Amino acid sequence: MTLEEVLAQNDAELLAKLPSAELARLFWRYKGLQKSVERDNSFWSSTNDNLKQAYEKLDEQERELARTYAIIQDDLSVAQNVQRALLPRMLGEMSEELELAVYHKQLTEVGGDYYDFFRLPNNRYAIGVFDISGHGVSAALITAFLKAQFMQVMEHFDSPQGIVEWVNRTSFDFLREVRKYATVNLVSFEPDGFRYVSGGGYGMLLHNNETHLFEKKNHFLGLRLKPYREFSLPFSQGDLLVLYTDGMVEAQNAAGVDYSVRRLNNLIIEHRDAPVQEIVDRCVADYESFRHKDFDDITLLVMRKKGNP
Amino acid sequence: MSDNPTDEMQVHGTLLMGFAQACMNLNIVAGANAQRLIAELEMGKWYPFSQLRAIEDVVMRSYQNSGPILVKVGMVMMHNWYQYGPGRSVLKGGASFLHYQTGSGGYQSVVQGAPEIIGTFDIEFYDRRRGRAVIHSTTPFSKDLERGVLIGGMSAPGDLDYVDVTAGEDSSFLHCEFH
Repeated sequence: MTLEEVLAQNDAELLAKLPSAELARLFWRYKGLQKSVERDNSFWSSTNDNLKQAYEKLDEQERELARTYAIIQDDLSVAQNVQRALLPRMLGEMSEELELAVYHKQLTEVGGDYYDFFRLPNNRYAIGVFDISGHGVSAALITAFLKAQFMQVMEHFDSPQGIVEWVNRTSFDFLREVRKYATVNLVSFEPDGFRYVSGGGYGMLLHNNETHLFEKKNHFLGLRLKPYREFSLPFSQGDLLVLYTDGMVEAQNAAGVDYSVRRLNNLIIEHRDAPVQEIVDRCVADYESFRHKDFDDITLLVMRKKGNP
Repeated sequence: MSDNPTDEMQVHGTLLMGFAQACMNLNIVAGANAQRLIAELEMGKWYPFSQLRAIEDVVMRSYQNSGPILVKVGMVMMHNWYQYGPGRSVLKGGASFLHYQTGSGGYQSVVQGAPEIIGTFDIEFYDRRRGRAVIHSTTPFSKDLERGVLIGGMSAPGDLDYVDVTAGEDSSFLHCEFH
């Protein structure tokens, strides 16, 4: 009888029938298996040590990442404060003529939505709302650049058309180089009306019982070197002017439906007689109950023409 | 890479590929590193020994205790050689691997260069009945890898119940036991 036959029959009692040579084989096979297990254990033990080292290295890298992340967060926090500090305050004559409420929220710490109030050479004032393509730090840097451009040109032009064309011309190469563009809504106020240039921005005027949506026939800043068209509208006591970027109206609910320009405009029309801050609050509340999540920076300015002082 | 023997130590593509493949089989190196190891390797060509040393260094750097890993790599190399290469046709049994490896078909066939650089791999003592042998190795290969090659080569045919190879105090002597 051989060792293989005993093993095949699975009967330990048959071992007694094995000749001594086969018993010796059994001995060595057992020792061989022991040796094999020993070698496997050594191999897995080394592998285990290696894994342990790898995990320790991963831990260290995670700590390093956390440290780096903290530094970036600190930097972003500073950038956020800088960007907030760059937001404008109402000019004297503006606050005499307008009630104004603003909702301005960046998607991340810093962003590409930007609004500003400007003093014009004719002692009047202008309001601008801009949306730089993309989000985050790159867009925020472009907002600072555009602010500087507008600050510079405001000293030389009264008309929104002249201002926007100058900024577009002087910024064009730079914006093309960094592959950015910006929507623009620039409104300059006259005693009984306003003039505006709109390139990609949203605007609505409620004048008496009429609703005027801004003409959007112009191009974005940084896209083309073509002239801009300027439009005029009346602006009387009690009229409501609304300027906003696409952050709200292009946000979607869980089903993928847009919040939409129509929904926002209808809500404003419905509450046109409410105080401007209340109109903004209602818009924000309605938007927040609708949208699945924010997808872009948001800027909404609602202003009402006051009576003559 | 070269097609011609030179004094510089060179290893045959089959050895280099076998080593790299064993490392990949054991997941010692994986992903892009593994692809890099075998990229552009050709079985029929000779490569500088430094190329094999580079792979060995990857293992040594990665493992604090690389000995058991290199033993396993050697074993898997020879398993692959026997199962998928010419091993089955040239070995009569596990014990005969010692003669094969120390003869012209073994070490000498996959390594070339000046004798003082490539060293020797010879049987110093052999007793089939008692299942003992001693190999004297002065090659520049890792002794753990050589232990693995001997264990794997003797075990591959499956006729031996017990195989072990240990290094003596003088690590150039490898003590083999087989039954």
